[in-house]
Amino acid sequence: MIKFLNPSYIFYLTGKILNFIKIFVIPIIIIGVIFSLFISPKDYIQGDAVRIMYVHVPSAWISLSCFALISFLCVINFIFKIKSISLIYKSLAPIGLTFNFIAIFTGSLWGEPTWGTWWAWDARLTSMLILIFFYIIFILSYKFITNPERSSKICTLISVLGLINLVIIKYSVNWWPTLHQPSSINLAGETTVHFSMLIPLGIMLFGFLLYTALIFLMKYRIETIRVKKKSLKKL
Amino acid sequence: MNLNIFLMNGYGIYVWLSFLLTFLVCLFLFLRTRKTLKKLEKDFIKETQNLSQQQFEDLKKQRIVKEILVSHSRT
Repeated sequence: MIKFLNPSYIFYLTGKILNFIKIFVIPIIIIGVIFSLFISPKDYIQGDAVRIMYVHVPSAWISLSCFALISFLCVINFIFKIKSISLIYKSLAPIGLTFNFIAIFTGSLWGEPTWGTWWAWDARLTSMLILIFFYIIFILSYKFITNPERSSKICTLISVLGLINLVIIKYSVNWWPTLHQPSSINLAGETTVHFSMLIPLGIMLFGFLLYTALIFLMKYRIETIRVKKKSLKKL
Repeated sequence: MNLNIFLMNGYGIYVWLSFLLTFLVCLFLFLRTRKTLKKLEKDFIKETQNLSQQQFEDLKKQRIVKEILVSHSRT
């Protein structure tokens, strides 16, 4: 077990997993795109505009999951002071920000043909926009605060505040129902999306998750080399 | 050729733009991350060359350093 927590072993493992993911990520995304654009059926109300869902929904899910994971890791790091955890959340934040941006932009492109507007100050849209600011402030905090202890404290504070925003994002469509539709896919409750649409959505989600893992592992290696470079200067 | 596959009853511009933007942003992040990684590996190796032979030999015993050297030699 201790072997798996050893930074050297983790670094070695990241190299192996990276090579493995590189083989699968592009073919899976290509299959997902073919299903999303050409094989999956049109929606009976939204028509072909529903195809935007296949990039919009996985992006939103990944950006939310990344922030939730970052918050959890920050709290763990704050309590137990485990150095390597900061490397993990630093590697996750840029991916979460990227997918948050994609979710907002594709949502806007979906909004124009279905709602008749690119943007509305709807609770879900606004809380997703606020999440982008949380990501930006979080990234700036660890980039510009050089004192590791202070940086860790501020990052934890931002991530915990951001966690409140995550709850607002999740329930905004129920608390303030305006333009954005309520959740169609529920792990605990009823899913209202047809199976023929769930397949491409699942493939795209899997492809995006592989891409997330790929970038995460590369970023993790970057952060590890940065730490090693610093220790090299002390020699 | 059935153009409606691309036009998607007038929604094509929104759908294609969404997919295009998503993949362009993903490609940009991938290329930028890869470039940073390669640059850091290169800089790290450059800095190890300034060390004495003994220091370098000691450093090479570390698994992470060995991995960086191997990874860099592959490219």
